Amino acid sequence: MTDAPITDAWIRRLNLLQLVVAGIIVLTPTLWMVLSSLKPSFEVTAYPPTLMFAPTLENYAQLAETTPFLSYAINSLIVTIGSTALGLLFGIPAAFAVSWTRISWPAILTLAARMAPGTLFLLPWYVMFRQVGMIGSYTALILSHAVITLPIVIWVLLPSFDGIPRSVFEAAQVDGCSVTRILWRIALPLVASGVAVASILAFVFSWNYFLFALVLSNGDSKTLIAAAFNFIGEGSTQWGALMAAATLIALPPLILAALVQRWLVSGLTLGAVKG
Amino acid sequence: MSEAAAKFTEDRQRLELAALSAPAVIFTVAMIAFPVVYTVWLGLHSFSSTGKQSFVGLANYSRLLADTEFWHGLWVTIALYVLSLVLQLVFGVWLALVLFHAKRLPGIVRSLFISPFMMPPVVAGMMWLVILDPSLGAANYILQSLGLPPSEWLASPVWVIPTVALIDTWQWTPYVALIVLGGLQSLPPSVYEAAQIDGASAFKTFQRITLPLLLPTIVTATILRSVDLLRFFDIIYITTQGGPGNASNTLNIYGFRVGFEFFNIGYASALMLTLTAIVFGAVLAFNRLRGAVAW
Repeated sequence: MTDAPITDAWIRRLNLLQLVVAGIIVLTPTLWMVLSSLKPSFEVTAYPPTLMFAPTLENYAQLAETTPFLSYAINSLIVTIGSTALGLLFGIPAAFAVSWTRISWPAILTLAARMAPGTLFLLPWYVMFRQVGMIGSYTALILSHAVITLPIVIWVLLPSFDGIPRSVFEAAQVDGCSVTRILWRIALPLVASGVAVASILAFVFSWNYFLFALVLSNGDSKTLIAAAFNFIGEGSTQWGALMAAATLIALPPLILAALVQRWLVSGLTLGAVKG
Repeated sequence: MSEAAAKFTEDRQRLELAALSAPAVIFTVAMIAFPVVYTVWLGLHSFSSTGKQSFVGLANYSRLLADTEFWHGLWVTIALYVLSLVLQLVFGVWLALVLFHAKRLPGIVRSLFISPFMMPPVVAGMMWLVILDPSLGAANYILQSLGLPPSEWLASPVWVIPTVALIDTWQWTPYVALIVLGGLQSLPPSVYEAAQIDGASAFKTFQRITLPLLLPTIVTATILRSVDLLRFFDIIYITTQGGPGNASNTLNIYGFRVGFEFFNIGYASALMLTLTAIVFGAVLAFNRLRGAVAW
């Protein structure tokens, strides 16, 4: 048994080495994107690629000058916040009712909507929204993105509501509280952290969602993600600006995700795994 | 409380609970159920360029069976699905084991590992487009410095599917790993102790004990990834739009282009309903499998 500590130390070192390798693989492409966005325009396409350079913000300035980046960003914020709010408004009471009654089909219905390919809805939406002249409207975009946020809110909150002891509700009922009142006054404050995680996940996935905005937004309401496609067209030789756009688009979800990383896994698997 | 009063309270409560889930249900029916029924109707019709529709029965579906582009799309979808899924599960389980044995994971490390799948797939596509550029990209520079021949990556009809699978694997392996890590952390430690007393090697312990116990978690990860992989869209649309030629034209990309580039709404509906059936078929099959491997 005398050599056991040595083997243990080696196993630990080997594991740490693997962790570092995995970390490098995960981090390098993102780092390369950020580095490229900070390179002067003549250096970003230099071959062999350079690692040392004088960082500049000229790509970001160019993005602001030559594209309506800010108004795309505002469009993205309106659609994302709107659809997250709608998801919470519909999802919180639904999750509570499903948790209370154990009648789960409303939750499964919204999940099925999330599993189907988006193009399936996009075809009829396009036909219908065009008929009522709503293509390019914030309303159409917010409604379509709420299809993404609603199941996230419901499935993240379900285990939270399930975790509240039934006796809490029963006591409130004896005091004459209605179910609706129990939800808003008693249950909701108890699942506040769940609501925070649900909001952030809904925000992230709505922000990241590409397909609906690609078809349902137009020049005035184009979101950042839908506009990304234009940046590629323009940026075939302007990698610096392209990477600056990519960096800025990725920033909000990355910051938000870092805030709630501890609770993310169980939320992301829609309750399939208790993280 | 009298019996009638109790019944009144109970009815009232049931009504209130129904009212609480009503907005979500009505929204989903209006946005999903009704449009899907409409898609079924669209799939039975043909639309002329002037917007005139005519009932064509199952003609869109028989056209689909004779459409080589559909069969090609199905092949691309399945090849990309299998390749990506296998890579993500293998690397995901490996990464989960590494993370598990690291014991204490500082928040910053966890943030680092969730960063790929928290960023938009569109951004992942953009960054890899630059890295994998055939003439100026960093990837080919690394290959060349190692004495290996450069690759055309996304521009090669042969390599485009493995390349897209690699990009998706980069993005989603940490997600699979975190799910599997959750499974690892919920395993009872007593199993390992018993194996250690029996003198089992680390590999044997993994093969005979950890892996079988992890299977339900792995199937869960498989289901969650299958849903995304079978309807693969974002990364391909940003990087290749189905090209070069039609080499990465998945069913979802093909259906989208038929609908919104060629404006053949009827045929696109038939394509998307078929793809939806494939996705739900896979989910139901894996769900059964999960029941079979549960412990």
